[in-house]
This record gives sequence, C-alpha cells and structure tokens, in this order.
Amino acid sequence: MAIDRLLKDEATEEKGERARMSSFVGGMAIADLVKTTLGPKGMDKILQSTRRGQNITVTNDGATILKSLHIDNPAAKVLVDISKVQDDEVGDGTTSVVVLAGELLREAEKLTMTKIHPMTIIAGYRMASECARDVLLQKAMDNKLDNEKFKSDLMNIAMTTLCSKILSQDKEHFAKLAVDAVLRLKGSTNLESIQIIKKPGGSLMDSFLDDGFILDKKIGVGQPRRIENANILVANTAMDTDKVKIYGARVRVDSMSKVAQIEAAEKDKMKEKVQKIISHGINCFVNRQLIYNYPEELFADAGILAIEHADFDGIERLALVTGGEISSTFDNPESVKLGHCKLIEEIMIGEDKLIRFSGVEMGQACTIVLRGASVHMLDEAERSLHDALCVLSQTVNDSRILYGGGWPEMVMAKEVDALARKTPGKKSHAIEAFSRALQSIPITIADNAGLDSAELISQLRAEHHKEKTTSGIDVITGGVGDMEKLGICESFKVKQAVLNSATEAAEMILRVDEIITCAPRQREDRM
Amino acid sequence: MATVAAPSAPIRSSKTESYIDTKRRDDVRRVNILAARAVADAVRTSLGPKGMDKMISSANGDVIITNDGATILNKMEVLQPAAKMLVDLSRSQDSAAGDGTTTVVVLAGALLRCSLSLLTSGVHPTAVSDALHKLAARAITILEDMSVPLEITDRETLIKSAATSLNSKVVSQYSSLLAPLAVDSVLSVVDPGYPELVDLSDIKIVKKLGGTVDDTELVKGLVFDKKVSHSAGGPSRVENAKIAVIQFQISPPKTDIEQSIVVSDYTQMDRILKEERNYILGMIKKIKATGCNVLLIQKSILRDAVTDLSLHYLAKAKILVIRDVERDEIEFITKTLNCLPIANIEHFRVEKLGFAECVEEVSIGDGKIVKINGIKDMGRTTSVLIRGSNLLVLDEAERSLHDALCVVRCLVNKRFLIAGGGAPEIELSRNLGNWAKELQGMESYCIKEFAEAFEVIPYTLSENAGLNPIAIVTELRNRHAQGEVNAGINVRKGQITNILEENVVQPLLVSTSTVTLSTECVRMILKIDDIVTVR
Repeated sequence: MAIDRLLKDEATEEKGERARMSSFVGGMAIADLVKTTLGPKGMDKILQSTRRGQNITVTNDGATILKSLHIDNPAAKVLVDISKVQDDEVGDGTTSVVVLAGELLREAEKLTMTKIHPMTIIAGYRMASECARDVLLQKAMDNKLDNEKFKSDLMNIAMTTLCSKILSQDKEHFAKLAVDAVLRLKGSTNLESIQIIKKPGGSLMDSFLDDGFILDKKIGVGQPRRIENANILVANTAMDTDKVKIYGARVRVDSMSKVAQIEAAEKDKMKEKVQKIISHGINCFVNRQLIYNYPEELFADAGILAIEHADFDGIERLALVTGGEISSTFDNPESVKLGHCKLIEEIMIGEDKLIRFSGVEMGQACTIVLRGASVHMLDEAERSLHDALCVLSQTVNDSRILYGGGWPEMVMAKEVDALARKTPGKKSHAIEAFSRALQSIPITIADNAGLDSAELISQLRAEHHKEKTTSGIDVITGGVGDMEKLGICESFKVKQAVLNSATEAAEMILRVDEIITCAPRQREDRM
Repeated sequence: MATVAAPSAPIRSSKTESYIDTKRRDDVRRVNILAARAVADAVRTSLGPKGMDKMISSANGDVIITNDGATILNKMEVLQPAAKMLVDLSRSQDSAAGDGTTTVVVLAGALLRCSLSLLTSGVHPTAVSDALHKLAARAITILEDMSVPLEITDRETLIKSAATSLNSKVVSQYSSLLAPLAVDSVLSVVDPGYPELVDLSDIKIVKKLGGTVDDTELVKGLVFDKKVSHSAGGPSRVENAKIAVIQFQISPPKTDIEQSIVVSDYTQMDRILKEERNYILGMIKKIKATGCNVLLIQKSILRDAVTDLSLHYLAKAKILVIRDVERDEIEFITKTLNCLPIANIEHFRVEKLGFAECVEEVSIGDGKIVKINGIKDMGRTTSVLIRGSNLLVLDEAERSLHDALCVVRCLVNKRFLIAGGGAPEIELSRNLGNWAKELQGMESYCIKEFAEAFEVIPYTLSENAGLNPIAIVTELRNRHAQGEVNAGINVRKGQITNILEENVVQPLLVSTSTVTLSTECVRMILKIDDIVTVR
C-alpha cells in the first residue's frame, strides 16, 4: 500500500519497455522532422511564432528549427541539445547530427525487439564509433602547407556548406565573401570582428564585403561628414546633464536670477565635460547615450564628429576593432585608450546613410553587408553565412578536410562492416546496425533530391569496395560522382563532432529505463 | 483565405527526378501557394491605368482609398505565412524601386500558379526553383536589350516616365502637373558630386487640406505647416530675413535639478516678476543684437519653448516666431537654410544665421502656412506643397507623388528606359518561350511553362481596361512575333500601338527588380515543405 503513494499526485512514472519506447519514438520524431532539410536539395520550413505578432521565419538550418520547437519528450530534448552544442562548437552539421542520432535509435529499437540487451548495443556502438573515428583520421587530408590548395579547400568547404542553403544560387559569390572574411581573422575563431549588416532591397548578388566597420547611425547636425586619421573616443556617458542622483535633492532659492545662475552653472558643467572630452585630442566621439543639442553644438563648433545613441553591441564592437576602450570618466586623458582609424565617412546603402570607419587598427575587422529581397531572406542568408563562417574559422585552425556528398559515411560504414564480421558475439549485430545508420545519411540526401536512393546506395557501396575511391552522391546529375572533381569538401572537425555527439546522445537515451515526470508546480489560479 | 487543398495526389512513377513525398507536405505547399495566390488576386484589379481603387477601412475606423499595391497589402493584415511573404515582397519592391508594387505581386501569383501545375505533374520543387533562377537571369538580359538609354538632362523623357507611373493613380488627371513637379524636385536635389545618388529624404512633402490637387506646387525654399505665433501681434511677413534655428528656450530659467523658489513676502514676489522679465528681455536683446528677425524654435518637452511673455517681447522686437519645430526636422531645415542650429544663447552669433529674401505667412484654405523664399546659398533640398479637397485625396496624392519621385530616382540611378503597356512582358514571354526550345530536360519544360506566366500582365491590363483580354494578348503576341518589340497595349485607344511613341515608358530598374524579386519570392515559397508552430 505504501508503494502506491511513493510519488506525489500527478507525478507519473514509465518503466522498462514503455520508457524506452517513448524515448525512441520521441528521438525519431525529431529526426524525421528535420530530415527533409538535409542536403543540397533539402527543403525549408516555415516557423510560425505563436507569440504576439505571429512572426514567421523561413529556414533550412536544423539548429534554428529545433531551438524554437515546443518539446515535451525528454529524449527529444536531448537531441535538440546536441544540435545546439554542434551549432556552438562547429556551427555546421546541425541537421546531420540529429539525423544520425535518430537513425542510431531506430536501429537500436529493432535490436531491442530481438531481445538484445541495451548494454550490449551500447558496447557495440562504442566499438563501431571508435573504429569509424580511426578511419576518418586516416582518410582526412591536410593541405595546410600548400597555400594555394588550402585556399581552394576553403572555397570548396564554404560552397559545400552554402549549397544546402538559400544562398545556393550565388554560392560562389558568398563563398568568396566568407573565405575573405575568415582569412582576415588570421586564425582567430573570434567571429565578433566580422559584422553582418542586413539591408533590405537589391538582390543577394549585391551583397559585399567591406574592410572596415560600418555603423548604422547618423552624424550630428553641422559636423564634418568625413574625417581622415581619426582619433576616436568611445564612451558610455550621459551627455544631457550630470544629474545629482540623490533622491529628493532639490534647490531652494528665493529669486529668479539665482535659478538662472544655477542653470548657467549646469550649462557650464556640461561645457566643462565637453571640454575635457575635446582635450583628449580626438576628432570623433561616439556615445552610447543621447547627446543633447547643447553638447552637440559644442562638438560641432570644435569640428568633432559626434555620434549619439549607438547601440551597445555597436560600440563594443567599435571599441574592439578600433583598439580603443569604452570610457565613462574623462578626468585622466592620458589613461584613456583612444581608437584610431584612417578614414570616417558617410556612405549610402540602398536608401539609408551609414557611417563607415575604414583602415581600423584591428586589421581583421570587416563588415559584410547583405542585401536581399525581403527580411526573411536576409535573416536566412545571415544564418547561412554564419554557418559558413563558423566552419571556415574552424577549418583555418584544423585544416584537415574530408570529401562530402556521403563519402565519409560510406567509408566509415565499410570499415565498421568489416569490424562487425571480425567481432564474435551479440555485439556484432549492434556494430552492423551502426553501419546501417551511417548509410542513412547518403540515403536521406538522395531521397530529398527525389532520387532513387536504393539504387544509388548500392552503386555507391560497390564503388567504395574498391580502394581509394572518391565517389559520393552527385545530386545535380542524380548519380554517383567523383567528389574530388566536383570539389565537394567538408571540414574534418564537423564530421568528427557529428559522429561523436550522435553516438553519445544515442547511448545516453539507450541507457534510460525509467522516466519519472515530476508533478507540475502548482500555479496560482489567476482567473 | 487559406483554402483547404483538395487531396488529389496523383500517382507517380518513381523514375529519377520525380518527387516522392508524403501527402501532408504536398498539402502544405499547396496551401501556401493557394494562399499566396489569393493575395495576388486581391490586388489584381488595381493594376494599370484603368485599374480600380480599393477602399480599406482599418480597425480604428480610418478609411483609405488607394491604388498603390504596397499600401493595400500593408493594411490587409494577412496571417497565413506564405501570404505574408507576398506582402513583404511588395514592400521590398517599394523600397527597391518605389513603383510596380502591384505588378510584382501579380507576377508572383502567376508564377505560383504555373509552379503548382508543374508540381502536380511530378516535377521536383528544387528543379522548378533552379529553372526559375536561370529564367530570371535570362529575363534581365532580355530586358536590358530592349531598353533605351537616357540622358539625365532629357527632362521631357523623364516627365514621360513619371507620367506613366501617375496615370494609374487616382490623381491621373493631374499627371501633367505632378510629373514635371516630381522630375524637377528630384533633379534639384541631385548632387553633381555624386550624380548616382538621390536621397529622397531631401524632398519634403507638406500636405495641406483645401483647394484642389491643381494647386500643388513646388516651393524653392521652405514650407512649414505651421502658423506664425500671433498671440502678441508679431509680424507675419519679413523681408530680408535673417533666420536663426534655436534649440534653447526663451522662457524663465529652469534647472535640471528640482527647484523651488521660496517667496516669503510681498516685495519679493514683485522682484521675482521683474527678474523674470529682465531675464527674458536680456535674451531677446542678445538675439536682436545679431540682427536676427526670424526665429525657428525647436519643440521642448522639458519646459515651455516660449511663454506669452517672451512672445510679447519678441513681437515688440519685430521678430517673427515659428515654434514647435520637431527635432527630426532640424537637419533638413539647417541644410536648406545653410545655417547652423544654435543650442545656447551664448553661442548666438551672426555666422550661424541663415538668410532669405522673404518669410511670410500665407493663408490657404482654412489654415495658414509659412513660406520661406529666396534663400541665400540654399542647400540641395526641395519642398513640395500638396493640396487636396479632402484627406483621402490628399493622402493618395502623396503616395502617388512618392511613386513618381521613386521612378525618377530609379532613372537617375540606372539611366535606361523601357516601354510600358505590357510590351516588356510579352517580349519576355516570347523570348523565353523560344529559349526553352533550345534547352533540354526538366529545365526546358519548366521555363516553357513560366514564359507563359508573364502574359498575365498584359492580360490583366486589358482585362482591367474592359477590353477583350484574349483578343488583345494574342494580337500583341502576333505583333511581337513580327518584330515590333515595342508594341504594347494602348489603354486609352483600346488597341495595340507602338507604346514608345505613345510616351508610355518606365524605368528599366522597375522592370528588372519586378522580375528578380518575384522569382526570388516564388523560389522561397516553393522550397518550404512544412509549417512548424514554435514559441
């Protein structure tokens, strides 16, 4: 009797077979949802927000889709998490990782049906994934020493990443943009200094890379529109008045002239502050807060370009790229680090005027201006470009590459199959299942492109039986093609991360044999 | 709006390049396309010179009558995601070219109809999408071949194209007035240093109820929809004006810290009043000392910009006062007057003033406006004063003028003209049809289908004009086949003529951006296979 009351009211418990089934089903459902976005001919999804405004997003990015889903199934949440981690770590392959994990679960489900213990499956999966990783390491190519080739590798990787996205038609243009931007970084993976500005209008081909920093703000009235060799002070200070911030402070006077005096004193204080700022020897002043009319005029008189109300993100980045620091007191001019740049000028993009800082101290900095037909398009273009930039910056550090188009999966599958044949015991079933799961990635790519996947995979497998093959699925012609000639490359790091996190996630979900749902927290009835 | 699709998935053979899909996804795509087409159908009838207007009554009871596609769609508040994308499409056309906002939506609707029939015959959506991309690139080269170069100095031609844009609007009977006005105002703000750039924010449009659209005029100078402050009998006309734009207040002092004046006896009160008077008088004396006789005062939230007392003294000093100028307008005003804003009385100096021959208050209709004429060293700005007998006409006139201004701006950016009246669309349809015959495979099939979609524009044009669309389109096709590239529909005469000779022309940029934007949007809709509800 006591057992019945072990859990609180409304808390539920699922055990053994039921628990496992529910997590399998959840994981596979998530994988099936994003499956259709995989590959160059993958489809997009509309994400319709239920919030106010009902904003819509059109995307092909697995991480974006999964991030915004309502999910209640615990296993499904694990898959969403691995996709998020993949996005943070390497930026691309967010769909692949979920699809692979989903397939591993699907295979595991079949094995548990045949009464193989989950632990045996896990052991088999572990052996298989280790073997697969070794194969990847052997097959990875490194062209770091050959500069020419390395750059063409980067171009290929960027194009491969972009070809599954909305930018596919202009992939060469964008691949070039992304490679140029990443090469400027000189090995750092800090994507902060690559700024992406979205401006509706024009077409995607009008997007360009600008080697400078662009701030979407206006220059104050009556101030110079163009400055060469600028010294920039980036500040976050109140430029209205230094209010006495003591509660209830007030002035009591007995005549009007004294009020006027106090007002004059306030003005003087402002003037003094402006003078202090000017005495830093600057000719450009960027403030995060408002600059009122009075100081604006003082700056204009001193021939200083003052930009007010720059957003926080904007000034942090500006401080970073110009090599300055954000300051909020101006008493010690010598201790303040000023930013520098060669030229500040006003430029026009579409209908808007923006301010460009070119020749900045931090040479890595650059801005990519995206143009496109609509806001949805621009948002999606930004996401795609971000993926490409992430992958490229990772590749610059770890320059090993692999071919794409299902090639690595087929190579791994072949080796894993060989391992299965060598391994005695029930584990070999699991290893075999792992190989089948790996093959599901090229199958999905083919299916999404409307190709006959069964036919293609068998051809591909036959091809891979030979040594040193480079064939994969060529979606454009709809057959088996030479990946080396087609220039379809992927970063080694992405593939490795996909393999590792998918296996780990599947393993974790397999271990579960009981799901306890806690009683929901009691909410106050607000009706 | 979102009509539920009839579940009629045809049985397909699974050869290569055919599309195997679940029915649900098929339905999503079908629903999307149908919803988007419903939007296109809603604006279809407003296309062309004889297109009809729409009356929109918004949730708060306002009524708008318009012919402008972008405005109609903006106010429609559609919910279906794909339909929303079409609304965005028209908005982008508005920002890219300013005109052709209806055309772009109608074209996208026609392309979607073709895509649907291609999809039902089993073509893979990405194949359709790729074909569309190729088609767009080809279409642009065809349009460029058709175009006629233009010199920016050729005022007549510029006026013609502005008139074409205006002809489809409510204010079409005034196109002979508004078209030259639009051309002149754009040309006057073109900076010779950067001849490619036109910033339309340099053209200020002031609306004033009363009179008719006929009374609309271009003002070489500044116009304010404001009264001169009269409360103390100040002047309402000043010649040889010295104008100051001030951002400070002529009122009793006020500190930023909370203040209170303690009055303890009667004599003190008297003194305070006197001091206040002296304080203001002191300020006005300083102003007067520079010779300034017109003041534009920025609106202030913190305290009164002017008080009755200061107005009284200003009137005594024969200074004309215009108050409550918005802060956003300061930049435009200072640019026009070629002066600097003054934020403190201590900085009130002669070199910051602007000069004009005449500042006067003019009463028109039931209200009054202030005009500043003959500005010395005037900046590159222009003001247009629009008049209209009621608010609806006034608003529509403003929208139409904006379109016309955009058309002229397009011509300044990209100096090519193209014939109007459906001629480019028929030519595209014919050329692309021929091109499809040279291609092979799926592409050829798709492009052939899409080529016919372009005929929707002349078809709708003639339909809206009450002509027989089939007769017109077939004749048009025939004339183009015989090599008359510029044959188009002359809606006024109801027949087909050489449309270039009829002066129906439009900028090339409008046509090219119509094609690129609508194909981009259709491709995006085609690639969607699911709608996911998210947080």
